[in-house]
Amino acid sequence: MSQDFRLNNVGLINRDKKISFKFNGKSYFGYKGDTLASALIANGVHLIGRSFKYHRPRGFFGAGVDEPYAIVQLYRNNETDPNVRATEQELFEGLEAKSVNCWPNVNFDIGAINNFLNKFFPAGFYYKTFMWPKSFWYKVYEPFIRKAAGFGVASIKHDKERYEHKYEYCDLLITGSGPSGLASAYAAAKNGARVILAEDKPRFGGSLLTSEVNIGNQNGKEWAEKIITELKEMPNVIVKNRSQVFGYYDHNMLVMSERVNDHLPKSKKYSPKQRLWYIRAKEVVISSGSIERPLVFGNNDTPGVVLSSAAKEYLKVYGVLVGRNPLIFTNNDSGYETAIEFKKHGIWPIVLDTRSNPDSEIIDEAKRMGINIKFSYVIIAAKGYKKVKSAEIAKISQDKKDLGKIENVNCDCICVSGFWTPTIHLASQSGNKTKFNKEIDAFVPGQSKQEETTVGSANGVFTLEETLKTSFEIGHQLSKKITKNDNKVSVPTVVEKKSTVHDKFWCVPLPEGKKYKRFLDFQNDVAVTDVELALREGYRSIEHVKRYTTLGMATDQGKTSNLNGLQLVSNIENKIVPEVGHTTFRPPYTPVTIGAIVGREIGKHSKPTRKSSMHLWHEKNNAVFVDAGVWLRPRYYKQGNETLFEASKREATNVRKNVGVCDVTTLGKIDIKGPDVAEFLNRIYTNAWLKLPVGKARYGVMLREDGIVMDDGTTTRISENHYHMTTTTAQAANVLSHLEYYLQVVWPKLNVNVVSTTEQWAGAAIAGPKSRDVLQKLFPDINVSNEGLPFMGYVEGNLFGVYARIFRISFSGELAYEVNVESNNGNFMWEKIMEIGKEFEIQPYGTEALSTLRIEMGHVAGSELDGRTIPYDNSLEGLVSKKKDFIGKRSLSRLAFVAEDRQKVVGVVPLDKKTSIPEGSHLVKDAKAKLPNPKLGHVSASCWSVEYNNPFSLAILHDGKNMIGQKLYALSPLKNQSIPVEIVSSHYVDPKGERVRS
Amino acid sequence: MLHIKCPYCGMRSQNEFAYGGDASVTRPELNKEILDSEWDSFVYLRKSLKGKHLELWHHISGCRQWFKVQRDTSTHEIFKTLKPGESI
Amino acid sequence: MQKYSVFSLIKNAFKGHKDWEVAWKDPTPKTEYDVIIIGGGGHGLATAYYLAKEHNITNVAIVEKGWIGGGNVGRNTTILRSNYMHDQNGLFYELGMDLWRNMSQELNFNVMYSPRGIINLAHSDAQMNVYSRRGNSMRLNGIDAVLLGREEVKKIVPMLDFSENVRFPIFGGLMQPSGGTARHDAVAWGYARQADSMGVDIIQHCEVTGFDVINGKIKGIKTSRGNIKAKKIGLCVAGSTSILAEMLNMTLPIETHLLQACVSEPIKPILDHVVTFGAGHFYCSQSDKGEMVMGGDLDGYNSYAQRGNLPTLQHVLTEGIAMFPFLSKLKMLRTWGGIMDMSMDGSPIIDKTHIEGLYLNCGWCYGGFKATPASGWTFAHTIAQDKVHKLNAGYSLNRFHTGHLIDEKGLGTKTWIS
Repeated sequence: MSQDFRLNNVGLINRDKKISFKFNGKSYFGYKGDTLASALIANGVHLIGRSFKYHRPRGFFGAGVDEPYAIVQLYRNNETDPNVRATEQELFEGLEAKSVNCWPNVNFDIGAINNFLNKFFPAGFYYKTFMWPKSFWYKVYEPFIRKAAGFGVASIKHDKERYEHKYEYCDLLITGSGPSGLASAYAAAKNGARVILAEDKPRFGGSLLTSEVNIGNQNGKEWAEKIITELKEMPNVIVKNRSQVFGYYDHNMLVMSERVNDHLPKSKKYSPKQRLWYIRAKEVVISSGSIERPLVFGNNDTPGVVLSSAAKEYLKVYGVLVGRNPLIFTNNDSGYETAIEFKKHGIWPIVLDTRSNPDSEIIDEAKRMGINIKFSYVIIAAKGYKKVKSAEIAKISQDKKDLGKIENVNCDCICVSGFWTPTIHLASQSGNKTKFNKEIDAFVPGQSKQEETTVGSANGVFTLEETLKTSFEIGHQLSKKITKNDNKVSVPTVVEKKSTVHDKFWCVPLPEGKKYKRFLDFQNDVAVTDVELALREGYRSIEHVKRYTTLGMATDQGKTSNLNGLQLVSNIENKIVPEVGHTTFRPPYTPVTIGAIVGREIGKHSKPTRKSSMHLWHEKNNAVFVDAGVWLRPRYYKQGNETLFEASKREATNVRKNVGVCDVTTLGKIDIKGPDVAEFLNRIYTNAWLKLPVGKARYGVMLREDGIVMDDGTTTRISENHYHMTTTTAQAANVLSHLEYYLQVVWPKLNVNVVSTTEQWAGAAIAGPKSRDVLQKLFPDINVSNEGLPFMGYVEGNLFGVYARIFRISFSGELAYEVNVESNNGNFMWEKIMEIGKEFEIQPYGTEALSTLRIEMGHVAGSELDGRTIPYDNSLEGLVSKKKDFIGKRSLSRLAFVAEDRQKVVGVVPLDKKTSIPEGSHLVKDAKAKLPNPKLGHVSASCWSVEYNNPFSLAILHDGKNMIGQKLYALSPLKNQSIPVEIVSSHYVDPKGERVRS
Repeated sequence: MLHIKCPYCGMRSQNEFAYGGDASVTRPELNKEILDSEWDSFVYLRKSLKGKHLELWHHISGCRQWFKVQRDTSTHEIFKTLKPGESI
Repeated sequence: MQKYSVFSLIKNAFKGHKDWEVAWKDPTPKTEYDVIIIGGGGHGLATAYYLAKEHNITNVAIVEKGWIGGGNVGRNTTILRSNYMHDQNGLFYELGMDLWRNMSQELNFNVMYSPRGIINLAHSDAQMNVYSRRGNSMRLNGIDAVLLGREEVKKIVPMLDFSENVRFPIFGGLMQPSGGTARHDAVAWGYARQADSMGVDIIQHCEVTGFDVINGKIKGIKTSRGNIKAKKIGLCVAGSTSILAEMLNMTLPIETHLLQACVSEPIKPILDHVVTFGAGHFYCSQSDKGEMVMGGDLDGYNSYAQRGNLPTLQHVLTEGIAMFPFLSKLKMLRTWGGIMDMSMDGSPIIDKTHIEGLYLNCGWCYGGFKATPASGWTFAHTIAQDKVHKLNAGYSLNRFHTGHLIDEKGLGTKTWIS
């Protein structure tokens, strides 16, 4: 089976490997080495999709990353990817693709009605209408517009592919393997530098693959192959194809996406679909080449209008003809190269050159070959709807204002060349102040901000000889700077055809009476008239033009449209292009798969999970876990069909009645050593610390400098100069940084060292009236009587051969102890406690019971210490020393903090003693007051009091001190609840704190 | 990603560090009588300079030392890093 | 001024759109104004508009160093909401919501106000309680709020991760049905066009280089286009506030930080709401063009650069995929950064200053866009009446002295920790 548009024996594809694929349900074949685009063109398929706004037919315009409109929905290995550029997608067996943004199909698209009504849809039309009636925008118009917009369809199935990250350091990162990239990589590598050479395409060589040049007696392609082969063998060089350096970030950090498996029917086992490289380079050589500019004329978006360089690439790389009857429209010599290639393969092109009498070696050759060249000619409009059928052409006057008689020429494709735009994206992202080069009518890199150098056509150098000379030199110089070596490689001789200057003309005027759309941005349908309208309406800054017309905002980010847009604005505004300025280049250079940016941190691994050393025991004993930051903690231990409420009540009751054990490993633990620890703690905590004896613990509250409570916990004096601090689970990391800050920055003279030991210790809290019995049995050698180990006492012990620390501290308000052992003994300790506690009816309890116990005791925790409260608010003012200074003390005397009616924690009991008060309810005087109803406070924590068998809550209440005994309402409009309540003391159980001391 | 020279560990990528704010803010001495305005300015007021900015960083995933960095807030260029006790 | 409507659009279509007038003029600065607003962003333009409309003060100039709408009003993720816990915030932003509801009609410019609903996801019962506190507070302030259970969230946003393979399962969420989005550029342009039509001079490419203050009274400004006198001057330059403050020898409770956002390539409609992640900092909505609009954390160090680094976005997108696994297959199309005033309690400042005739509007953190109308309205009132309105009384500079802070998140002065 032959393909109508495939040439024999031309191109770099592998003709031995036929590949079948489907497009819009129809089967085709191509060859290994094809892109989806080249294979479709070989099969004569040019209608790929529809444009964004007017739904005009769209084909192929480029042959790579610059492609503005050939995007498809791709199906691969039972998954689908939206918005895949057909010019970049390599063909693989079984590939399926579909057109996007058309309904019911690409051939007959209802949306194309927009095209016939396009006069009503100029730039920004939606700002001027759809305003009446008021609610219609979001009820009627917006849903309609949304449906029409967007390209591909996202699958909501979870992505099965795997993406990886890699971090790499190098001396030189070289972005692009065209002549400039190869030369600088080669020179640098030979000089001993560690080089990474990145090429976006599957094939190395860039323009050398398609240009007719001779380097050192080889043709360009052969020379490129030779250099690449040599580079690949060098140990100091990493060569990567299918790898796009898309972002240039601070301090020479560049990011590259490598398409590892996208070109295969499915990803290889243990191999990621894509790999993201973070590369820190000492020097960067930007050799990203240049992109051909379109010429602007009527209907220049018709399928069959392509960049002349793309036509040449399709021919020389893929052996594919974009047409058999080409018209070539150029303002420079590049168009001739394409014409010559056509002619070589028996195709007779017609060249329309906007210049009147250019003279160069290339043009001479074209003339010699007998190619039909029309000077001072332009295309006025392409004709044909879904494919170019002919063109209206005319002679143009020297001043480019007057058009001659319109002639009709038959053609099946139009190859355009409006000269070249250096790809300066990476340079600009790096902070380089770009400058306008009048000779090439484009911006080139200027003063560097970071360690980057741009070479070759990316720097506006368009002759091979100059490119190679400077690139070899740059590669050498930069590597010498780093390696201090001075091994120079010789620059090969170059044979290339000389070209002459391009014509600055790029936009064909419309003849009298003609209303053809002349497009600047092909995907977003931005035409010359749209930019004119924007300027007419006062949107004159280039950023306003961009935003008002959407020029350059499509998925190609204006690679082919931005400069023409700038030129148009400068023409109309009578400014030079650099005065207009370009919009900001921002990463990514080309769209990057979000999965690749994220890498492996997905699903359960999106954040780390921390587990205590007793976790397996909890799991085995039916613990239901709760996330506490990144920790998992048992919330309750489920027995039978118990609910959370029933289980936590059972567990809490057992603590009050018998004894319970709770895993407190997650508490932050900080080891503090040094002769000045007491003084340090005295400054950190609000209460006094200078006289804490060895073997004693103390509860402390620490503030931020703004007077707000930062954290609370206990610190124990283990020995003379050794202390052990505990923090809340949530604040552990912050407290450590806080301590380090004061020690290292503020009070460096204090001789104190801190280190986190959270991971080193496993902790179990044993609480309840029978806890002493359990402890005695655990540590038969220790005197655990109230005298031997009083409240806030500390001893060290031997737990069946395991070193243990025993703290008599309590969060539950019961007689309680906390036992710490080294983490690897945690489970041993836990099992021993359970075993020995059995006779005392011990039960494990989770965070829910823990909350109940602390709430009814009036102990504040995270829901009260919410970053907005001061010690007074939490009834901790007794712990605030009046004598000494400490962190945040000065802030406590501020007006709002000393107000007579300052908020304070109180207890709340429903009048009916039955209705639980939802946490987050607000307390008000009048449940039925009109809104906004003044709020007096909020319910911070609620529980079922196991002591009194009725609901009890804590609240932070305005003027809480004077509110005890008041009757208020707890309102939760979200839950439609209004509960009459009485305000009581927050210390609902054991207000004198006798149990902990018993 | 910034590349920061920890004065103790050498050049490391930013993801090892935590930012610590303006290093020119100095805490008033303890127990010293100061004006309300001095305290407010310590707690809340920041020059937020555009250009050279002396700031604190904390090598949290490294040596856990706090240190000072002189950095340009408009270009992110880093000029110098110093130990807490050192000055420019 | 031309009226925009479907009829004027059709009429102009037949004239080849040649008769559209400029949306705003390009005047040369006069030597003196009653009021100068520094900053041609959303807040500045809105302030000028309300000065003219509500207070009949039209001898006003807006002075902008670049192009109007080029700052954060053109760089945000377009979210509108008033789902705040503190009364000061709730009531203030709810005024904003009222103004948003009528903005297209009032400005005769379609700002595409789209009350599609904003949902804050909760990933634990404790978080549900925190959200309840906020939601109940909203309801008692007359603001709409609904608490959703897991199944209800699933019904509304089915493509969230409800699978087993999830680190922080969804417990439910707090929804403000009237929250949503608007077209950010249109807001700036709509205010500009109306302000211009009422006589306000919009002066672009005019950078303020100094202030003229005599005996504690403001007299005028020095600019790159000459000196301009004014009786009153309002600062509306979030992101650059500290730079102007330095010219005035003022130090403010503000740091300038960088926030990045990004969009995916456009896809067909899949997400009808604004959704925020509860186990981190990520939020997402889909634009009318089809792009997924995503944002999250600050880059985390003082910056005026308007350009950020990838690890922050990586971190944000990690949370994005944790929330919406389907994002994995989409491609990140465009990223950008904005610089913002991070105030020391996370709430803004709209106040008079110690300099007579100088007014301050700053400290919007990353929430300035939704505040645009309310900020303009109250700031115009503050300037016109020389006293704060009760809706912005809490946004005083003095609160940092008295301790009457409005700390919605409870994070204190470490502004870079979001």
